[in-house]
Amino acid sequence: MPDKTYRAAVIGLGRMGSTFDDEIKQGGQFFMPYCHAPTYVASPHTELVAGADPHAEQGAIFAERWGLESGQIYADYREMLEAERPDFVSLCTTARHRSAILQDAVNAGVKAIWAEKPFTLSLAEADAAVDLCSRKNVAVAVNCSRRYNVFFTEARRMIEEGELGEILQITAYAQCNLSSNGSHAIDTMRYLVGGNVEWVFGEMESDEKAAGDEDLMGNGYLAFDNGVRGFLRGTPTGAAPWEFDVIGTEGRIRSLAQGMETQYYRWVPGGLLDEGLPARAPFPLPTNIPSMGLAIIEDLVHCINNGTQPRCSGEDGRKALEIAIAMRESHRQRGRRIDLPLKDRSLRMLSSGIANDSVPARIRRLGDQ
Amino acid sequence: MSEKTYRAAVIGLGRMGSTFDDEIKQGGQFFMPYCHAPTYAASPHTELVAGADPYEEQGSIFAERWGLDSGQIYTDYREMLAAERPDFVSLCTTARHRAEIMIDAVNAGVKAIWAEKPFTLSLAEADEVVELCDRKGVAVAVNCSRRYNVFFTEMRRMVEEGELGEILQVTAYAQCNLSHNGSHAIDAMRYLVGGNVEWVFGEMESDEKAAGERDLMGNGYMAFDNGARGFLRGTPTGAAPWEFDVIGTEGRVRSLAQGMETQYYRWVPGGLRGRGLPARAPFPLPTTIPSMGLSVIEDLVHCIDTGAEPRCSDKDGRSALEIAIALRESHRQGGRRVDLPLEDRSLRILSVEIGGDAVPARVRRLQGA
Repeated sequence: MPDKTYRAAVIGLGRMGSTFDDEIKQGGQFFMPYCHAPTYVASPHTELVAGADPHAEQGAIFAERWGLESGQIYADYREMLEAERPDFVSLCTTARHRSAILQDAVNAGVKAIWAEKPFTLSLAEADAAVDLCSRKNVAVAVNCSRRYNVFFTEARRMIEEGELGEILQITAYAQCNLSSNGSHAIDTMRYLVGGNVEWVFGEMESDEKAAGDEDLMGNGYLAFDNGVRGFLRGTPTGAAPWEFDVIGTEGRIRSLAQGMETQYYRWVPGGLLDEGLPARAPFPLPTNIPSMGLAIIEDLVHCINNGTQPRCSGEDGRKALEIAIAMRESHRQRGRRIDLPLKDRSLRMLSSGIANDSVPARIRRLGDQ
Repeated sequence: MSEKTYRAAVIGLGRMGSTFDDEIKQGGQFFMPYCHAPTYAASPHTELVAGADPYEEQGSIFAERWGLDSGQIYTDYREMLAAERPDFVSLCTTARHRAEIMIDAVNAGVKAIWAEKPFTLSLAEADEVVELCDRKGVAVAVNCSRRYNVFFTEMRRMVEEGELGEILQVTAYAQCNLSHNGSHAIDAMRYLVGGNVEWVFGEMESDEKAAGERDLMGNGYMAFDNGARGFLRGTPTGAAPWEFDVIGTEGRVRSLAQGMETQYYRWVPGGLRGRGLPARAPFPLPTTIPSMGLSVIEDLVHCIDTGAEPRCSDKDGRSALEIAIALRESHRQGGRRVDLPLEDRSLRILSVEIGGDAVPARVRRLQGA
């Protein structure tokens, strides 16, 4: 085994762990390999050495697909961690068990974790996970994957280098449950503007939903510490699917239609009363379009070598969850502005990803046949 | 004088009353004639018979420009109303005196009023004028002029006829003081979605500004009674000047860069996972691009003949003011949702345009020269 090869294991051998990439036929939001097993197989840094899933059917499909022996498939992830001593672990189970598995993996001595989103269900779980990883110096990358999409990293670079001037506004249209895919939307807003949210206002899809712990749709207004203001529409977005719009004093970038198009505007002389005009310019095409999964592995290898934080860290995962919960709190408190951080760490949101998770979706489908 | 000719008078002989059109060299936001005197001069329905302004310099410039005799220029508008018995009166003074002049004009027996925006300074003034005009059957058109811009009326027609499906969202980027040009932004949002605002959340440019009565910039979230949600950014908008974005389940229309471009998107089959795509289609070009001023006159003549309400009525003017004040109230109350209508009718915003109105801008310039 060459020096640079890390032993990688996947926990949760369903859709994100194994087969998600099969569903995707158009790029923009995803560049392949994207999900966990195909990425470990393709990466020069990793060797896929094991998988764990309590459902034997999942294990068998995974072993056959990725060329593992039955001895490399475990029903109990703790046993796998003990026997295989992986360096990388992917957390692809239902979010219900994410924080428990994450803690077990850290305590088993892994070097890096690649976790699906949402990071955790409750703020207390997120606090414990962030604290433990920081104490044990384990790098955790949360798969809010636009941070590993070259069109978004290019947009971020332009913002960071001042090409848009001072950033004023970010608007996102992204129909989502706020914990499940809302974690993507919120994290992307934070990433693009490069700020932290100080307070929020939120309106949820209904009073009933807002009163409960189940995942839910909602809209929000976000006040960032760098002066930027954000508007997120997470309720249905109709003809504006998954759009991010960053507006600065000197330019603007829009990512449209699930990332299939990226637009760039520059403020140029001219216009009514000579006050200037927004002219559309070509968005700089990247020199290559890397796999988003491989970009995560590169990032985590870099973190292992340098002790840095991943581009989408556990802290980022916690913040996306906290913003979602704060938006719901705003609604619960009849439309009040809510300051962050939230005091009540027991607050949680039961990600829609955990619905019916007593039996994985693929097993349910197999059972129907 | 033919039966169809109405006698028209302008009160306030400054920029909007007389010379605004000289400043505008590009269409989109304005189609000419736009402001009051050139419109009365051009309309087949009206004859410009008088002007009133306490400043003689204004009056003599106006008389020369629009071919009136010195006897048709009055320093006291009450005297003008009594002597000339106009059918149409334009209110182009500072907003400070708007309500009082409107009341005098109605009591002098005018048939129609074309009022500059903002409609009034306080809600109580707005209530009084609306009540009086209702009682006396006088048509009041407020010059929130996008309702008389064919690109906006075409957008509205598409919304009304269901071409965009169910309307979900209207977003406006429009740097403005909320009473002054905010009246345009708020009115255009109400017009496009065809709904009334039930409640708002607002953030003003500063606590100090929010505490006072002076006009101010701010952002807001609006809940419409038809389920649409609105987001207005009235604080600086950088590279996104004066933009309205209407998003429906089946389509979307965007008015960009002060109306210089209008975009239309339709939801078509295709896209990631076959869930559909927003495809840009040509925005239907109008068969004619009417003068916005002449459209106001056509509307008012129609109202006189039929008793209908103008497209931008006094009630619309009051609603725009009330929403602006509610946005400020939301901030004043520490950031909370504020329900409409507002109970305290003494609330007001001192529109930014009344600053320095002891002497009109042109007179100040003439005196300085």
